[in-house]
Amino acid sequence: MRPAVAPVAAFLATRMSLEIVPKLEGFSASNAGMIGAMLQMMSEEWDRAASRLVEENAAIRLLLRRAAEVLGDSSLGAAAAGDDADLRLSSLDAANDMLRRNLTEVHARVEGRDGADARALEEAIWDELRASVARRRISSANF
Amino acid sequence: MVSDAAAQRVATDARSTMKPITESSLSEYLATRVPEWREVQIHGLHRLPLGASRETYRFDLSHAGQDRQRETLRLILRRDPPASNVDSNRRHEYECYRAIYGHGIPVPKMILLEEDPVHFDGAISLAEDLRGFHNSEYQLQNPEWRPKLPRLAEQLWGYMGKLAALDVDKLSVAHFMQPATSESTARQELDYWVAKLEKNDVGAEPITWAAIRFLRRNYPVAQKLSLVHGDFRAGNVLYDDEGNVRAVLDWEMGHLGDPLEDLAWSITRTFSFGKDDRRSGVAPKEVAVSTWEKSSGLRAEPEALLWWELFACVKAQAIWAAMGHVWESGANQDVIMPYAAWWLRNAQDRAVLELMGKL
Repeated sequence: MRPAVAPVAAFLATRMSLEIVPKLEGFSASNAGMIGAMLQMMSEEWDRAASRLVEENAAIRLLLRRAAEVLGDSSLGAAAAGDDADLRLSSLDAANDMLRRNLTEVHARVEGRDGADARALEEAIWDELRASVARRRISSANF
Repeated sequence: MVSDAAAQRVATDARSTMKPITESSLSEYLATRVPEWREVQIHGLHRLPLGASRETYRFDLSHAGQDRQRETLRLILRRDPPASNVDSNRRHEYECYRAIYGHGIPVPKMILLEEDPVHFDGAISLAEDLRGFHNSEYQLQNPEWRPKLPRLAEQLWGYMGKLAALDVDKLSVAHFMQPATSESTARQELDYWVAKLEKNDVGAEPITWAAIRFLRRNYPVAQKLSLVHGDFRAGNVLYDDEGNVRAVLDWEMGHLGDPLEDLAWSITRTFSFGKDDRRSGVAPKEVAVSTWEKSSGLRAEPEALLWWELFACVKAQAIWAAMGHVWESGANQDVIMPYAAWWLRNAQDRAVLELMGKL
């Protein structure tokens, strides 16, 4: 689409906050302000969403394969299957959700496991979780 | 400014499935419900942009008394929606307000409770409306408010400390609040909010679950049992032009528990509306803690406070997830529902990383 979606959404967000919100009051003004803020978030997410999901899915698949060795659980190799050939956001998001659920389970198991391999894997999981928060960061967030 | 007169008289969200509350329907109801209010007239009914869990309306009510003299009351109406991010009910908040009224914490006086949904599609309560004050966390970030923030900090965490210090045995709460003990409250609260998070699943939560596992390994014992407000922060108080707190609002999550819970909630990062180290957008954590300790006479032991700060992240994430869930289900499609879920979930995860030393 041209003009590109991200700058148009950002433009609409600005118009909403500068032109429309000041003409409203009370509950309507509050709603319009939130709609403007959501347009701004959509603008940020539009451009990066596919990239961050592909990057994250690949990183989690690597962690799950590593966990299969550390925990001696071959089923985790199957959990790491998939290649994100379908780049629609709905498909990437569904794969991401399943991978993060598996990562949550692996994280809990690794926490309870002794040994240098387990500690190293635990740190690698935290590294990925830290990266995931950075990928999703919204510029308007309070923190 | 454009004034939408129709919206003022028929105050309802266009997407709400509930029947609109109108001046005439409210007048008709109150004339029957409160016989001593004769010739009831309602003016200026409109919905306020307050909170996400309940609908809040403001209006003036005038009526004739027994001596025929007309009296005007300024009132607030709160209505329970069909689905909310907070599983509470009108009676609970109404009774919380009544229990705390007159005990040194400024709150509006409760007027009426109607639990039968037949009248307005949901239970409602009426309370006195304390007008002329502010409650915006955003407004506090304007430069002209900077000099007043120390006063507000003293008042905000001062009243929170006073609430913590109150003897719960002297408050009338036993008939509607779940019992708790100093030993049980941490587990009880965590179990409740984890169940809510699981019920309102809107996606994997690997960071929140890491926090939950930590919390389950390290339950603290409360130094005393207090009435916990449950959502005590700058956005839930009314303050005047000098930064004095004039009322503490939104008691729907009030419960018996560890007083550190309120302190921890008020300093969580997602309420730092200045996008800096001022918690609740008002003052640094050290100021909040020392003010609370001085006022309550209690100590915010660092390990216990950390537990409750992490708990606050889990509770908050459960609420943000519930907002996303009720919107997706169609049960409540107020704009604030997806807005808060989008805006807050990742920031709350980031707060967990910071508290666990992983950021």
